[in-house]
Amino acid sequence: MFRLQGSKVLAVEMTGDAVKAKNGSMVAYDGQMSFKKLTGGGDGLRGMVTRRLTGEQMAVMEVKGNGTCWFADRATEINLVRLQGEKLYVESGNLLVTDAALRTGTTFTGLRGASQGNGLFTTTVEGHGQAAIMSDGPAVALRVSPRHPLTVDPGAYVAHQGNVRQSFQSGVTFRTFLGEGGGEAFQIRFEGDGLVYVQPSERNTIAGDL
Amino acid sequence: MSAYSGTYGTAGPGGPVVYDPMTLPVDDNVNSYTFCVELKDGQWFLQKGKMIAYYGAIEFNGIGHGRLDHLVRTSFHSPLHASDWVVASGSGKMLLADRAFDVNSYDLDDGNLTIRAGNLLAFQPSLALKQSIVPGFLTLIGTGRFVAASNGPVVFMEPPLRVDPQALVGWADCPSPCHHYDHGYLTGVLGGLRAMTGLGGVSGEEHQFEFVGAGTVLLQSSEALMAEVETGVVPSDPGTPGGGSPGRLGHGPQPPGAPRLPGQLGDLQRRFGL
Repeated sequence: MFRLQGSKVLAVEMTGDAVKAKNGSMVAYDGQMSFKKLTGGGDGLRGMVTRRLTGEQMAVMEVKGNGTCWFADRATEINLVRLQGEKLYVESGNLLVTDAALRTGTTFTGLRGASQGNGLFTTTVEGHGQAAIMSDGPAVALRVSPRHPLTVDPGAYVAHQGNVRQSFQSGVTFRTFLGEGGGEAFQIRFEGDGLVYVQPSERNTIAGDL
Repeated sequence: MSAYSGTYGTAGPGGPVVYDPMTLPVDDNVNSYTFCVELKDGQWFLQKGKMIAYYGAIEFNGIGHGRLDHLVRTSFHSPLHASDWVVASGSGKMLLADRAFDVNSYDLDDGNLTIRAGNLLAFQPSLALKQSIVPGFLTLIGTGRFVAASNGPVVFMEPPLRVDPQALVGWADCPSPCHHYDHGYLTGVLGGLRAMTGLGGVSGEEHQFEFVGAGTVLLQSSEALMAEVETGVVPSDPGTPGGGSPGRLGHGPQPPGAPRLPGQLGDLQRRFGL
């Protein structure tokens, strides 16, 4: 069971089960815990090769035991996500902890990733369980429904989940070149059914390569 | 029906608080760092790049856009830094945030408020934005709402008081901001050297801004400044502070425009009688 203690520390209570966590993010534990480095993001050999190729390397450890384990990373805000069979798309650097039951993988994001400077690939988390993602400032979860599409600034995007189509919008017009642009030249539009997480900051330090 | 029903605007078990266009607040904070503006065929001025997400049909146009000329004429009075501002127009709800700083909205009722240019995020067009005579500050006049960011929550103080320059966010109604120096122990040659080099103990609090009169002073609870935003160049008329007209205003060895700090070489020279 995941529980936030404050907004920057995650407490995970474990009874013999396991979680996958970003390497080195454990700050404290009680009870009995074992920490095992997982090679290649814990996706197996194929995943390892994919991650190497796509630049979505994740240094992940498996934490297993009885008791409570606390996680934190550079005083970054932590947000809880609950998955019920759908897929979560998140940048590998922003993923802190996932239930061991969740499958992780990589996927192609196309222009959105490129517009954020995160590369063309992102990490997916799939299955039933909880995950914890990090953001610069507490993330706001916004619902996307067929009647209410959402448009997001690429720099503020953190993650999204569910059955969501994304399209890349460019507001670049001749005015941009005259220096009179709207300042929001690149936007991502989300349509469908799901959730989008945005952070109150357009810095990309956390999403970047660590 | 979506798989997420039941978590509208409330914290699900072990999940996030989820907002949609109906549950997002109207012209209010979503959390300390995110502000939601509702547009109903209306317009807001905002600093470039502070929008993080929106629902609905909202258009962002640079202020040089022809259709906005009238609006800019009535509520925007510093054309020289217009390129930092955009107008959001349309219908929908828009989220504003600035580098994970605290954001808050303030209502002005036929009032005036002067704010550090880097702290102002957005304002309603019913307010008029003007450059302040104080360099680096902007003044809002009229009735309406604006959104400002600060490093840590904002505290409101009543004059008379002296504030640290880095903590000052802005002030309302009081017309007398001025510099105040604690020269007490910084006199003489040694004092000048001390202030100049920082050797021998400088508390870093020798210089304050002083406010007297009726009004309110806004302070942030941190001395970490927000990034400066260019307020634009003021016309170089004689008598305009910061107007930068070297030939006409210049007298003495000090280049005009550069603030003359105590302990500068010029002061030392004077102390030596040079």
